[in-house]
Amino acid sequence: MNPGPTTPAFSRRQFLRDGLRLSAVAGAAGLAGAMAGRTQAQTTVWQIDPAKCVRCGNCATKCVLEQSAVKCVHAFDICGYCQLCTGYFEPEPNELTTAAENQQCPTAAIKRTFVEDPYYEYEIDENLCIGCAKCVEGCTRFGNGSLYLQIRHDRCLNCNECAIARTCPGDAFRRVPVTHPYLLKTDTH
Amino acid sequence: MSTPSENSGFSRRRFVERLARGSVVAGAAAVARGALQAAETNPFAYDVGPLAKTDPAWVNWHEVKRWSVGGRAPRRLAFGPGDVLHVAAESQVLRFNREGAALPPLATTGAVTCVAVAGDGTVYASLRDHLEVFAPGGGRSAAWESPGPRTWISSLALGHGGLWAADSGARVILRYDLGGKLLGRIGAREPGRNVPGLVVPSPFLDVKVHPDGLLRVNNPGRHRFEAYTADGECEGTWGAPTAAIKGFCGCCNPIALAVLPDGRMVTCEKGLPRVKVYDAAGELAGVVAGTESFPANMKAGGAPGRGGLDAAVDSAGRVHVLDRVTATVHVFAPGKAGA
Ligand code: SF4
Ligand code: SF4
Ligand code: SF4
Repeated sequence: MNPGPTTPAFSRRQFLRDGLRLSAVAGAAGLAGAMAGRTQAQTTVWQIDPAKCVRCGNCATKCVLEQSAVKCVHAFDICGYCQLCTGYFEPEPNELTTAAENQQCPTAAIKRTFVEDPYYEYEIDENLCIGCAKCVEGCTRFGNGSLYLQIRHDRCLNCNECAIARTCPGDAFRRVPVTHPYLLKTDTH
Repeated sequence: MSTPSENSGFSRRRFVERLARGSVVAGAAAVARGALQAAETNPFAYDVGPLAKTDPAWVNWHEVKRWSVGGRAPRRLAFGPGDVLHVAAESQVLRFNREGAALPPLATTGAVTCVAVAGDGTVYASLRDHLEVFAPGGGRSAAWESPGPRTWISSLALGHGGLWAADSGARVILRYDLGGKLLGRIGAREPGRNVPGLVVPSPFLDVKVHPDGLLRVNNPGRHRFEAYTADGECEGTWGAPTAAIKGFCGCCNPIALAVLPDGRMVTCEKGLPRVKVYDAAGELAGVVAGTESFPANMKAGGAPGRGGLDAAVDSAGRVHVLDRVTATVHVFAPGKAGA
């Protein structure tokens, strides 16, 4: 047994996690600023309430854009950095490698990087992500729910009537202030 | 800005044309073709259907009773003297007698995450970061200091003359004396002592004291449970990652443990909510309850705050399973239904 009742030192992973959290928030804030400048006449924009999304797949197919404005985002401070990420891997992967047949993302938009044994980091390539929510379902079913969908306002046209919202079975779309355009998950538990 | 309807038809047609020319990433092309053809079904469904079916040949327990804990959000169970079931739920420790009738609850100063009960009836209830103690008569007698800023206590167990607290936040098992003095920690990675380190992606670290004198601790990120001496030596591990019934599925399971009177281990899983029994060699001995017993839990998924199960065993060896989603206690007895 460790002798003293002191708090263990923060691990490299914890340090990494905190750093990533800050960068994720900064990124969202930067996007918000860019968007606000383009839409001065509008006071609200569409956003997805992650607590209401039921991962139906419509976000990939119903957006008026060629490639959906909805993307998977990753709450690094909620993520478990799991070796067996159920957002990344098929429900029954042959092995835990990055081989295409083990991945469930239909566009290979998730990048898996080794951090330290047994932790891995997962990043979304938004240019490849089509917002299909398959990884979101895997992460929500088995993991921490750190993967979730958000409308990216550097892409979204802010249609008067969002074409996805019309069909959303979770009633997850709502208008949010242009000054706070994201509904970010923050609580770890 | 174009209206959605104008944009909609034109965009999709153009997208399909571009797909046909191969000007969009190949993965997206394959996906989109399927999606456009499958209007009513979700072409991106994450299908766990076949994995969620329990082979009835493995199910060798049957449900004898169930009751609601009263609409509160419960987290963990523990039995006290007289088989009084204690349930950590919101800011109370709820108490139920053998018949499931409610007894007066104990009020904590905040959301209670787990509970343990001593043989004399003293109740140890943990909030996220510290413990509160209730004398056998019910009055709150002490509040212990928080061990650290990262602490997220998710399970308690009494044994070795003291109290063990599973700290999901710090990924260690804390050892206290019964006066609240923190004596030490076990479970942190120590390669020199063959201690692999607890991998705890979500707050489901559990600890139990086994009749063999060793602790049993789940290591959910490694898909197994482990045995530790009171000094922190790792004496054995059981379990493997697989969606098959014999192992533990998802990113982090099992999430809860209980011990049968004969020493076999009861495990609970999230994602595919199921309860199983493992023998001393770590071989699957049977299924107490499959996903079919917890349909709302299955639907909710296993993310923290959504799903999860816990289990405790009464003096007759019956397994009491708490479904966090429906706030229901299911009671299972050995033997196949109708046998
Ligand atoms: S349409 Fe609604 S429920 Fe379906 S994936 Fe999008 S936000 Fe989730
Ligand atoms: S699985 Fe779907 S939502 Fe997730 S990263 Fe891939 S394309 Fe995006
Ligand atoms: S508002 Fe328009 S562009 Fe934005 S997500 Fe909805 S349909 Fe797509």
